[in-house]
Amino acid sequence: MVKLEMQGITLAYGDKKVVEDITFQVMPGEMVGLVGPNGSGKSTIIKALSRVVTPYSGTVLINGRDISRIPRRELSLLISVIPQIPLLPSAFTAFEIVLMGRNPHLGLFQYEGPRDMDIAWQAMEQTSTQCLAERRISELSGGEIQCVVIARALTQETQAILLDEPTANLDISRQIEILDLVKGLCRKDKLTVVAALHDLNLAAHYCDRLLLINRGRVHAKGTPIEVINAQNLEQVYGHGSYVYTHPLSGLPAVLPRVDSSRNSSLNK
Amino acid sequence: MSRKQLEMHHTGPAVPAVLYPHRHGRVYAILGLLVLLGVMVAFATTVGSVQIPLSTTSSILLSKLPFVNMNPTWTSALETIILEIRLPRVILAGLVGAALAIAGATYQGLFRNPLADPYLIGVAQGAALGAVVGFILPIDWQWLGLGTVPLFAFVGALLSVAVVYTVARVGKVMPVTTLILAGVALGALLSSIVSFLIITSEEQLHGIMFWLMGSFSLTQWSEIKFVLPYVVVGVGVLLVYARSLNIMQLGEEQAQQLGINVEKLKLILLTAATLVTAAAVSFVGIIGFVGIIIPHAVRLIWGPDYRFLLPLSVLVGAIFLILTDIVARTVLAPSEVPIGVITAFCGAPFFLYLLRRRTKVLF
Repeated sequence: MVKLEMQGITLAYGDKKVVEDITFQVMPGEMVGLVGPNGSGKSTIIKALSRVVTPYSGTVLINGRDISRIPRRELSLLISVIPQIPLLPSAFTAFEIVLMGRNPHLGLFQYEGPRDMDIAWQAMEQTSTQCLAERRISELSGGEIQCVVIARALTQETQAILLDEPTANLDISRQIEILDLVKGLCRKDKLTVVAALHDLNLAAHYCDRLLLINRGRVHAKGTPIEVINAQNLEQVYGHGSYVYTHPLSGLPAVLPRVDSSRNSSLNK
Repeated sequence: MSRKQLEMHHTGPAVPAVLYPHRHGRVYAILGLLVLLGVMVAFATTVGSVQIPLSTTSSILLSKLPFVNMNPTWTSALETIILEIRLPRVILAGLVGAALAIAGATYQGLFRNPLADPYLIGVAQGAALGAVVGFILPIDWQWLGLGTVPLFAFVGALLSVAVVYTVARVGKVMPVTTLILAGVALGALLSSIVSFLIITSEEQLHGIMFWLMGSFSLTQWSEIKFVLPYVVVGVGVLLVYARSLNIMQLGEEQAQQLGINVEKLKLILLTAATLVTAAAVSFVGIIGFVGIIIPHAVRLIWGPDYRFLLPLSVLVGAIFLILTDIVARTVLAPSEVPIGVITAFCGAPFFLYLLRRRTKVLF
């Protein structure tokens, strides 16, 4: 069980502050979504949670411990990350990549044993990537690579998972399959999940709580119903969207605002 | 994923065997290459101006192994030729080949750059400058059994890498791109100084040129005593961190998220690879081609996993350099060709053949 906390985090690249004074916490079994426009700082927050970038000020706590004092290997036994546009070495096979998720569990002189193999194979079954196991990364599509990386994160067997645009390269059925899987683990195994998501509809559907980030600051936070409304979206995204209630789920849903006047001006 | 789930899974379908038969193949390859290396050492000590049958050579070599007792059926002159003249040379060639190949593989992995070789960050140029200064200075030191030239070469190599490292380091972080660029820039500076010194030193010209192209002539046991500890310790350290090198192929960010202390790892690998390379070049000079091509040849045949790539590179590098040294000292006998001339001439066609035959991704 992992409780993640950000306390007054400000993040900067050089002198340019990209995230300012963010505070939130995520409990075990909870899935929190970070939403907001391009460049609003969602990915940077994910990187700070996994200690890939060091905060300018503020602290990240995991179960109350300052993350900057936890050794890398120990940290990677607690938190796994699914990066946006994962960069993978093309000559390795998908199975070899998934098996790399066992790295923090292995000693310096240790090889992966049958149990590690089983865990990796099981993770590939969960992500429907077993058929890719022998293929090299260079032969896979962007979506397939994304699923392989998700399998690797599951192989890491952590109590918290951070996802940075996990569905960006996936088709609609794969998006649902992957988010169903993550949400299921979150509920069943009390995993702590933080996901940066572009798709507001998926965010509203899957996340327990949302943080709407705009220009590095929290614009709104709360349940999807509290966060995704016409007023907030107009303030953050401008006039481009139309919010309605999803007829099946009763949750807020968003469509691109296409009105006739705009259409006619485009058609000219 | 919870333990509970996993235990449930244990009754499910097992991992198909097809996913790890390669591992056995690679282990057999390591064993096979070890045998080949032994044969190659025996063969290389047989070849030379004095004709000695392979059986006699093998007997002499075997008689020196621990727990082997043999009655000598050969003259002591033969034993001297084999043990004091030929064997040190063969062993040094093997050590240098192993050192350059594993250092090259390490740099390629660390920098994630297929063009990286052991000389990328200034080792060769530093060693060359040190050696040339050693040739020119009218002094003849002996320190730890080292002559002036190898001593200066070794120190020069370490100094230049230290400078490159200091320049490239920003706080606690060392970006690899900066490291490569600093290495290339310092290397160019040192090379220009070397060129200047060469044209102003007529009487030493032949010795310097021979050193720069690499040679194993006149190898003695004392040189092996110096090189061996660096190579053994360095290779050992690199082999221990082979799995971390695999993870590094994902990029620094993902490597950190998979539990690698990236900056510490970079420092360990750089230090080990630099010491191994510096020790190798200080006696024999700059031998090109081995460090860049052997790891790629191994990759083409056995795949990208560094846990096998590194030990296989060690063995293939050693065998390759012993073989090319035979060519270097026999092709124009009794005079010798610098081995750097032979490595590319013999190795490049074979590598091009591998490159053409294989269709899978190399790096």
